Amino acid sequence: MNEFLEHGLNQNRRKFLSKMSLGLGGLALGSLMAPGLFNASNEDELFANVLPHFAPKAKRIIYLFQNGAPSQLDLFDYKPQLQKMHGEELPASIRNGQRLTGMTANQAKFPLAGTKFKFSQHGSNGAWFSETLPHLAKMADDMCIVKTIYTEAINHDPALTFFQTGSQVGNRPSMGSWISYGLGSENKNLPAFCVLLSKGKGNGQGVYSKLWNNGFLDSIHQGVQFSSGEEPVKYLTDPEFIKRGDKREILDEISALNQESYKEIGDPEIVTKIQQYELSYRMQMAVPEITSLQNEPESIVKMYGPECLVPGTYAANCLLARKLSENGVRFVQLYHQGWDTHGNLPAELEGQCKDIDQSSAALIQDLKQRGLLDETLVIWGGEFGRTNYCQGALTKDNYGRDHHPKCFTIWMAGGGVKPGVHGETDDFGYNINSLPVHVHDFHATIMHLMGVKHEEFTYKHLGRRYRLTDVAGNVINDLIS
Amino acid sequence: MNLKKWTGFVNNALWVLNPFLLLIAFFNEKLKLGVYLEWFGKMHPLFLHFPIVLGILIGIYYIVDKKGNVASNILHPILVGNAFLASIVAVLGIFLSKQDGYDDALIFAHQWGGIAIAMIGWALIYLQQYNQRFKSSYILRVEFAMVYLLVIIIFTHKGAQLTHGASVISFPQKEGTSENTQVIKVVTDSNATLYVRAVAPILQQKCVSCHGANKVKGELLLNTPENIQKGGKSGNILTADKDKEAMLFERIHLDITHKKHMPPDGKVQLTTEEVAILSRWIKAGGDFKIKMNELAKTDSLFLLANKYTPANNTKVEVKTGLPDLAEYNSNYCAVNYLYHGSDAIDVNFFQGSFYSRDVLKKLEDLQDQVVRLNMQGMPLTNEDVSIIGQFNNIENINLNYTNLDLKTLEPLKQLKKLKLLSICGLKFTESELTNFLKGSTIANINIWSSVIGKTQLEKIAARYPKTKFTIGDNLESQVLKINPPTIDQDSSIISKFLDVKMKHMLNGVTIRYTLNGVDPDSLTSPIYKNTLRLTRNTNLKIKVFKPGWISSDIIQRNFYKSEIRPDSIYLISSPDQKYLGDGARTLVDLELGGSNFTNKKWLGYKDTTMKFMVNFKQPRVLHQAFLNSLIDVGSYVFPIVSISVEGSNDGIRFAKITEAKFPYELTQKDVMKDIKTFTVDFPNNTSFKHYRFTVLNVKKLPVWHPGKGTTAWIFVDELFLN
Repeated sequence: MNEFLEHGLNQNRRKFLSKMSLGLGGLALGSLMAPGLFNASNEDELFANVLPHFAPKAKRIIYLFQNGAPSQLDLFDYKPQLQKMHGEELPASIRNGQRLTGMTANQAKFPLAGTKFKFSQHGSNGAWFSETLPHLAKMADDMCIVKTIYTEAINHDPALTFFQTGSQVGNRPSMGSWISYGLGSENKNLPAFCVLLSKGKGNGQGVYSKLWNNGFLDSIHQGVQFSSGEEPVKYLTDPEFIKRGDKREILDEISALNQESYKEIGDPEIVTKIQQYELSYRMQMAVPEITSLQNEPESIVKMYGPECLVPGTYAANCLLARKLSENGVRFVQLYHQGWDTHGNLPAELEGQCKDIDQSSAALIQDLKQRGLLDETLVIWGGEFGRTNYCQGALTKDNYGRDHHPKCFTIWMAGGGVKPGVHGETDDFGYNINSLPVHVHDFHATIMHLMGVKHEEFTYKHLGRRYRLTDVAGNVINDLIS
Repeated sequence: MNLKKWTGFVNNALWVLNPFLLLIAFFNEKLKLGVYLEWFGKMHPLFLHFPIVLGILIGIYYIVDKKGNVASNILHPILVGNAFLASIVAVLGIFLSKQDGYDDALIFAHQWGGIAIAMIGWALIYLQQYNQRFKSSYILRVEFAMVYLLVIIIFTHKGAQLTHGASVISFPQKEGTSENTQVIKVVTDSNATLYVRAVAPILQQKCVSCHGANKVKGELLLNTPENIQKGGKSGNILTADKDKEAMLFERIHLDITHKKHMPPDGKVQLTTEEVAILSRWIKAGGDFKIKMNELAKTDSLFLLANKYTPANNTKVEVKTGLPDLAEYNSNYCAVNYLYHGSDAIDVNFFQGSFYSRDVLKKLEDLQDQVVRLNMQGMPLTNEDVSIIGQFNNIENINLNYTNLDLKTLEPLKQLKKLKLLSICGLKFTESELTNFLKGSTIANINIWSSVIGKTQLEKIAARYPKTKFTIGDNLESQVLKINPPTIDQDSSIISKFLDVKMKHMLNGVTIRYTLNGVDPDSLTSPIYKNTLRLTRNTNLKIKVFKPGWISSDIIQRNFYKSEIRPDSIYLISSPDQKYLGDGARTLVDLELGGSNFTNKKWLGYKDTTMKFMVNFKQPRVLHQAFLNSLIDVGSYVFPIVSISVEGSNDGIRFAKITEAKFPYELTQKDVMKDIKTFTVDFPNNTSFKHYRFTVLNVKKLPVWHPGKGTTAWIFVDELFLN
């Protein structure tokens, strides 16, 4: 990018004036007579000093994002009615004019599709789990299963963006960036917001770096994407001939040069750059120590499944997420792709569940036995749900499901959530009967768990104060223990 | 009386007035004034502007008038009047200074400055009248005038600062307010004292401008608890007498028209709320030490103070009154309050290799405040534990994977408030655990041992029903299949030799391999040590073994010896425009294409049939040719159908040598994505200069494929000749 253009983009009236004041004698005098005349308002920075607003229940978040939207009807939201009416048309009174995606809008029929999987109840709350999730079912008593979350978007990208940033339109900061901005990093040797990607064999939807973007916040708050290869962070190892001391010297010199150009140009991104160099210098020591599997006992490998030894898999990412989180990373965001089961759902879903079941359960168990589950909030869920009717041809044992925003299931564990099953959908799994939880409510609740009043946590940008929950969102107390 | 007489009279009066002025100035300390003279003092601000204006005009006159020819009968009365007014104002000023408590340094400068102005004014009369040099020298007059003006400006400004504050002529900060915006620090945490939370902000905002460091009216300072307790000229202000309310209480309650009402009429008044807070605080004894959290939550004083915020023209700085933790924080230790305003502290250590005991030792300063301590993975000894033992309010300690002995944890049992102790991964025996649990009152313990199994731990735990145990499983009994190793070699082509490394993330595994396509077994197959050197075509198969685990799946990989390099090679038919690769070179560049067909390392054909020519300068015997090809069913990339080869020595007439067909049908469930090698065997004694290859692709995609009926792609890279 053209540096002058970039500089121009970062320039605003206040910075322009404050720069000019150094050049013009008159303004300089003005600033002498009235100290603070040209200072930037520090009201935004004040937040950093007053957060958390109250005692947080959760200190860190691990968000296991299931990208593509897993079918709630084949995993958690058991609807025998659908099995009874398998193949029958979805009653118009249930659909009630709900908008459809371009993929099924032209479909002549909407035959209901009962799940092919066997369901059974687990835990003291009798939560239903399909047979595809045997390991997670064992953790039922630690899970807060919300069956009635709903969203406004019906296609992947806006829905994902909505979940991640509180707005369907892009360019807002991601949840992790908000947390990083508000609460900062516990461990100064690691980024506050880390992103890990993995891919299942099912029909996938891409994830883009805009989902972990810092938006209008300082770019130090953007998510740091770890590589899925053997080295989670590339180029951390110095070449043989460079010693640690040399590196320090180089960095000091570069930093001095950067300071100079900051004084000259005033681009705040230069400051961010300096901070990022320093962080990566410390990461050189921290990351290998933290990501090494050498110190993990064999039982951990058994717990997460041997796949956790294969870099880039969901299991490996879950294990890495635990390691990062226990080392003070505020927000670890995983994305597992491949849940977009428009067709061939039974086979694809089974594959996806195999990827995530054991390792997600292991993550809860692992945190729990270390005494960290209470302060770590684990969230599992997609961007919307899937329809109760079939997309494409419905056969006896094969079907597909389209996007369904009106109700779907996510679960959370630890971090002050109340274990149990929350909310009820109707017999068709189409509408919400009780405890609707909007995405904004979900965000508000998570903020609350982190000790943040979502309505008071704002950032002023373009003359307006923004928050993660936009202008809505209520804390859902039913979900909080 | 005419002007001349008046002038004479006043001129004489100055001889009385000025010595008197000097007298009271020198003996200022001992001076005692009556009510009337005090009242006269109040005239000082009224009169002071006359001599200033006159003095400045006189100064300007001396500068402007070069010749000095204004008649003395005009100038003389003005000079006399000026001197008289200056002296009067100076006397009144001294009277005023007796009455109010002002900043001593300012008073001193202003008083003597004022006297100097009066004296210069007096001297001026005689200089103008009798001094010939003064009258004739313009330069001297200007110099004199300059000094005079300077003295006037500097020392009268001191006076202005006394009355209007030090920043009297600073640039106004906000339109409409002549006073600077005050910065009031409001301390919001519940641990703060009531005084700091509400009383001090009120006093600072409404009272300190007259009862503070700059101005000490009535000898009363309201800026610190000590000064408030000291009281003022009329004594203590906080204690009530038998029949009289405390003075502070009385003054703020008097009617605003009353002379003694505070703040005085004309100043910013206290709000009802502020009056309520101050008076309730005084009634409650005016305690400076009582903390907000010591007040009952229903106490009206608490309720009022808790929601108190200073008025609009103040800038509120939210601060906690708690110690700043910056000095305890480092890159490897995070020390934070649990939340804003809490005095409870959360401590996290990171990265064991940087651990230093001094950092923990320093936290002894905060020993009553630390409630949570995470030292997971730190290399600790019993010395560290004895430091932790002093954190008497600690509730949660994480000592997972520290090198500690259970015996050294004894001091922790004394911690009364300890609710959760995590000791996963510590090494201990059953008896050591039993000893530790004896007499422990810790409510929750997280425990995991690599040695003692879960059932055994559960048995021990069952003997201590008061403690809730979370026991980690070492999963001894669980037998899983181990995952295969990774091969650390990107190239699959052996030119002279190729070194292959293998890696497995788990400790204590045995990697066995074979080079001849036979499945490795746990007994006879060679064990991989450091590096495996390959020198010929190899079908490498690897399997991992580890006691307690099911051995891994076999992974295999082909390595190709590229024995014969053609002298030249060219493409007869051109690949698709999008997948030109590097032309014919792509086939023999010793680099394999990888799994992504768009990476320019593949030649892609769809509608044209792939044909290429391999040339040797001399006839060359070939036994075998391999073509590597990509299969990616989802992207319409199917396997090769057939490869036929023709030979020629003159490059014109070609004879068919052989055709290899690969007749298998792909079904929907077949491998979606793969790289496969297609082999062509040549009859014995095949020897030509030119070899022409024709590679056929699938012409009609099967019915199950979304693109049924259309032509499939083939992607080819690397040709090996042997």
